[in-house]
Amino acid sequence: MRKQGLTAFWLLLPAVLIISIVAFFPLFKTFYDSFYSFSLRPGSIRQFVGFTNYERLSKDPRFIYALKNTVFFTVVSVSFETVLGTLMALVVHQEFALRGLVRAAMLIPWAIPTAISSQMWRWMFHDQFGIMTKICEVLEVIQPGTPILGRPGLAMWAIIFVDVWKTTPFMAILILAGLQVIPKELYEAARIDGANAFQRFLRVTLPLITPTIGVALIFRTLDALRVFDVVYVMTRGAVGTETLAVYNRHVLMDRAFTGNWFGYGSAISVAIFTLISIFAFMYIKSLKLKFD
Amino acid sequence: MKRFYMILAMVLTVVMAFSIKITMTSGGVGKELEILKKQLEMFHQIYPGIEVEIIPMPDSSTERHDLYVTYLAAHQTDPDIFMLDVIWSAEFAPFLEDLTKDYDYFDLDEFLAGTVKSVTVKGKIVAIPWFTDAGLLYYRKDLLEKYGYDHPPETWDELVEMAMKISEAEGINGFVWQGARYEGLVCDFTEYLWSFGGDVLDDEGSVVIDRGNAAVEALQFMVDMIYKYRISPEGVTTYMEEDARRTFQSGAAVFMRNWPYAWSLLNGADSPVKGKVGVVPLPAGPSGKRVATLGGWNLGINKYSSPKEKEAAKKLIKFLTSYHQQLYKVNSGQNPTRELVYKDSRLKEVAPFMATLFDVFINALPRPRVANYSEVSDIIQRYVHAALTKQMDAKTAIKKLANELRWILGE
Repeated sequence: MRKQGLTAFWLLLPAVLIISIVAFFPLFKTFYDSFYSFSLRPGSIRQFVGFTNYERLSKDPRFIYALKNTVFFTVVSVSFETVLGTLMALVVHQEFALRGLVRAAMLIPWAIPTAISSQMWRWMFHDQFGIMTKICEVLEVIQPGTPILGRPGLAMWAIIFVDVWKTTPFMAILILAGLQVIPKELYEAARIDGANAFQRFLRVTLPLITPTIGVALIFRTLDALRVFDVVYVMTRGAVGTETLAVYNRHVLMDRAFTGNWFGYGSAISVAIFTLISIFAFMYIKSLKLKFD
Repeated sequence: MKRFYMILAMVLTVVMAFSIKITMTSGGVGKELEILKKQLEMFHQIYPGIEVEIIPMPDSSTERHDLYVTYLAAHQTDPDIFMLDVIWSAEFAPFLEDLTKDYDYFDLDEFLAGTVKSVTVKGKIVAIPWFTDAGLLYYRKDLLEKYGYDHPPETWDELVEMAMKISEAEGINGFVWQGARYEGLVCDFTEYLWSFGGDVLDDEGSVVIDRGNAAVEALQFMVDMIYKYRISPEGVTTYMEEDARRTFQSGAAVFMRNWPYAWSLLNGADSPVKGKVGVVPLPAGPSGKRVATLGGWNLGINKYSSPKEKEAAKKLIKFLTSYHQQLYKVNSGQNPTRELVYKDSRLKEVAPFMATLFDVFINALPRPRVANYSEVSDIIQRYVHAALTKQMDAKTAIKKLANELRWILGE
């Protein structure tokens, strides 16, 4: 028994070490830094300031605005992605010709690096030559000549649209995995009991894929709360699209060597971390997820 | 055979002991990288012992800035040579080799005074001017002629009048510029500000942007061009250099504000406006001044490089900023920083406007010269853009801008 325990210890050690180095250490360091005031300029003196950075955060209108934008972006985009992702998964779960090809093709938006696809979309949203602008004009969603990415309100929706386009396939592939493990017998039984297609979905499929959706939701929400590239490439945070990560880039990069902002930037990072934890906690509780 | 390898190994060891490898960052806008590679080949022939590796950088200046922050904060020894935007000298000065005593080695006396000023931080030279830039007005010669104008606009009012008339008749845009929320917006805004007689900071570094009405009027003028005169499309608030250039190059605009790099592209073989474009200094505002924002790039040496690498880096910088190499670099549309190059007849052949617009380049004004320029720029970008997208009126925007500047500069 003892020998077994020792073997287990040695077997676990590399994993624990790696996780500590790549995950726990940076996390701890960020928490630690958030209680200090300093910059990365040579000769800058570190000063312990306690909770001052957090106090300032609560009074920083730009931070609060970015927080609102981030939550709005996350709630809207993740909702769309979940619904569309589930529908997509249900479709490709059916048997049809060339199913494998369709499943692979579906993943293309997810496979293109966000920085590149966002640039592509930025051009498509160009006010004079962009195809998206043309489509919106024809559908009379916008007046001719409206710059979608330059209009407060519209720009955020364009960004949400691009994010939904990009990450719905990811959602779908996760949910598809959940669908594939549902035993066929359950559907047969439901059918014998006289359940129609909608009832079968509601009573059999949905409860059984809920844990999968939960995990997918956590993944997506985590990503959405940290959203940076799509916003930065498309608008740089202009016209009311600034998210926490975009604001944090400004604090950590533009102010890295001047003033004493690095602790403040760390505090923003901690705020993002806390926000993610709150969302994750809510999901786990409300969907009764079990991780064992 | 074995012996051959041994000799080869020995030769290699000897060569390696005498040769040194240095790294430099470079952009790849237009023909920039292609020209630089040819220059490095020439350099290698003169100094076979120095090997140079290029680290390509993203096009966006802000992204380069962020990469440098990461390199420097980690005290990395690479790259040895940094290609630095004129606005970064003060911010990155603590990480750059002091070149003050090499003033004569680099012949800095022969350089344009404005460019030398841009690399001087608290009396120290921290980099060597590589190429310079200034905002210019591009216009469609054929269209102006068609509507009976015998000269390009000399004042902003004249530009508005011409642009309104021609754009309405032709059904195209009147004037495109850089109005997205990024560094380019600061360059455009300061040009209006100066031509309306204002400034961001005074010589002592105090905030004077809200002194008098110049800033409000200048900003209001920019807003009016979009919503009142309607010579600029609303989408100009999402345009960067390349968005404006593409619009103008496709023939969809009468006027464009842009940097010199656009010239060679507008006159490229596949350009629809080839041969139809003229370029002049930006028009004058109520102050009577025709001013351009100073842009350009400098070469600085990493303080954390080894002494040997620093020596090699100096040789390379001297080579790249030499008379002949600057003349050669005109091929990629980048303006020399040495005064005499502008008088060379070979320059006139490649880029005639560089010679005729010499005054614009020597009189271009720098953006605020403060160490926390990036913060200052961010404030200007946010409030000017808020006014351009009608989220705030010009007066409120300038007031808030000034207050935030005072706060960040500790006044």
